[in-house]
Amino acid sequence: MTMNAVIPTDVSSASDALSRPNRVPLGSPVYNQIAEFLYEEAWLLDEIRLAEWVARLDTDLRYTCPVRQTRSLAQNAQSIVRTVMHFDETYASIRGRVGRITDTRSAWAEDPPSRTRRLVTNILVESTDHPDEFEVKSYLLCSRSRFDETTLLMLSCVRHDLLRRHSGTFKLARREIIVDQTVLGFPNLAIFL
Amino acid sequence: MLDRTRTTLSDGTTIDDLINVQTREVQLRVISDPELYDIEMRKVFGKTWLMLGHESEIPNPGDFITRLMGSDPVLITRQKDGSIRVMLNVCPHRGMRVCTSDAGNAKVHTCIYHGWAFKNDGDFIGAPVAGEKMHGEMLPKEKLGLTQARSHLYGGLIFATWNFDGPSFDEFLGEMKWYYDMLFCRTDRGLEVLGPPQRFTIKANWKTACEQSAADGYHTLTLHRWLGEFAKFGDGDLTTSMYGTEVGSLHGHALRCMPVANKFKQAAGFRDGNLTLEEKLAIVPPPGITKEMLPELIRNLTPDQLGLLVDSPPQVGGMFPNVLIAFIYVPQPDGEIIGLTSLHTYIPKGPDELEFCNYILAEKDAPEEHKQKALQFAVRMLGTSGMVEQDDSDTWPHITQTAKGAAARNVTMKYQAVCTTPPRPDWPGPALVYEGFTKDDTQWNWWLAYRDLMNSAL
Repeated sequence: MTMNAVIPTDVSSASDALSRPNRVPLGSPVYNQIAEFLYEEAWLLDEIRLAEWVARLDTDLRYTCPVRQTRSLAQNAQSIVRTVMHFDETYASIRGRVGRITDTRSAWAEDPPSRTRRLVTNILVESTDHPDEFEVKSYLLCSRSRFDETTLLMLSCVRHDLLRRHSGTFKLARREIIVDQTVLGFPNLAIFL
Repeated sequence: MLDRTRTTLSDGTTIDDLINVQTREVQLRVISDPELYDIEMRKVFGKTWLMLGHESEIPNPGDFITRLMGSDPVLITRQKDGSIRVMLNVCPHRGMRVCTSDAGNAKVHTCIYHGWAFKNDGDFIGAPVAGEKMHGEMLPKEKLGLTQARSHLYGGLIFATWNFDGPSFDEFLGEMKWYYDMLFCRTDRGLEVLGPPQRFTIKANWKTACEQSAADGYHTLTLHRWLGEFAKFGDGDLTTSMYGTEVGSLHGHALRCMPVANKFKQAAGFRDGNLTLEEKLAIVPPPGITKEMLPELIRNLTPDQLGLLVDSPPQVGGMFPNVLIAFIYVPQPDGEIIGLTSLHTYIPKGPDELEFCNYILAEKDAPEEHKQKALQFAVRMLGTSGMVEQDDSDTWPHITQTAKGAAARNVTMKYQAVCTTPPRPDWPGPALVYEGFTKDDTQWNWWLAYRDLMNSAL
């Protein structure tokens, strides 16, 4: 595999067109349920209720965070790199990450834990060919405070999710996190986005 | 070698006051003193060989990447003849950064400020409105190109320095080259990057990360203790993996050779001396290697190097001043052992900040499936979200902050755990050899190398 194995920037079908026939309108019941799911998810992560968060993940989860590069406008498609990524996870590996935090006494990266605030906005929902699956785009601004630092660390991104309806509730089946920084301002990604 | 001077800070303190050779102590003040930082940029990062990437990042003519040599931005390009150039990414006209992308392909690099244009080898082509001679007539065009660095490829890794009269790259590696060759020059086609590097920021001085890279095995026991607490990784006792052989040099290079038999039950038979190389490679191959690569290893390494690589491979360490080397194992719950290859550069971004740049690599000749697994597990264990290296990212900022205290700046970092075990009589390799439990010697050598450069004349 070489550096050229880079996929264009059209990250999901929800990402580009503004008026799509599949758009689930803002304020509709499904839209509201999905927005509520994302707000609850942010709350669980901010409250470090990781086991409850994992319960909302589907077992075929793909959870990735590509590296970004500064490219010229003409080559901007290659600003998203899906070879080496910041996260390259499955359901099992996410459970491993959570287990490190919950089942050991020495996960120092988040002990003492960061104080985080996940602000979720700009939610757009598309229906798909599968009646119980929705492609969801949301913006996330994650602030993070460690120790007595007065300057909040910030990370902004757009998340392209696939949410799957399971008997009235949703599970996260796919998430691609497109961060805006080529050099992350966070000292690690020991928290989830 | 280097001309020695007595580098003295504005309050009269010398480098030799701060780094006490007799007692093997380093005053914390050294960590984040802004005055020292300025000297480091010139005498360390302006003088030594620096790793900037891998040639597989720019496979085709015209391909380029931009990187930092200390605080100097550089443009690294692939030429038509296949060679690689490293040059200052600074326009000789007004000092603007010429290339503003991280990577790409271009025959010509044109500064967006006034339009001065350069070939991808750095030669000045011309400035807009040729008839007006906006580049003047005082200097010939040959003098208006981008400033070239002295560059060298080693195992595909791109190194460069501003020191044209200093040591050759081989002299820089010295006796440690014998060990580095076991990692970087062992296969016919060598390593390749699996993508561009992960990059992130830690609010810590570069030296906190780099002195650790000079083979601090001991911190693993406590800072990375979760590895032993987490059922999936081994039998829980990390102490046995503290035993091995550390090799290093007064250039500050260091590697930890860790016996496979100490690490994995299935490799216990390695100790008896009855197994062939093929048999050992079938049980636990060195990180990044598959057993099918044995003929290549035999072609590229001496029997002594190959024997050591298979029995006690160098797994972690560094290359002075700012490279971390990791060729490590990740045992899986099902018994499979995955080997990862990762290199970091810790780039100074001021006295209190570093950029962590993480390259993930694999042998070109490894099967695609092996590369994909190695990549996934490298992301999960090392770098940005790596479950091992996450835990380093608070210690370095804390040290950087404590080093500022009026009292704490006089506290010393102590490198007084000295190896007293003589090397094994049958140890096959050169350089300084420290046998037994991981001690402070190789890290102390890092500081001696730092002290030497900081005392050098510019």
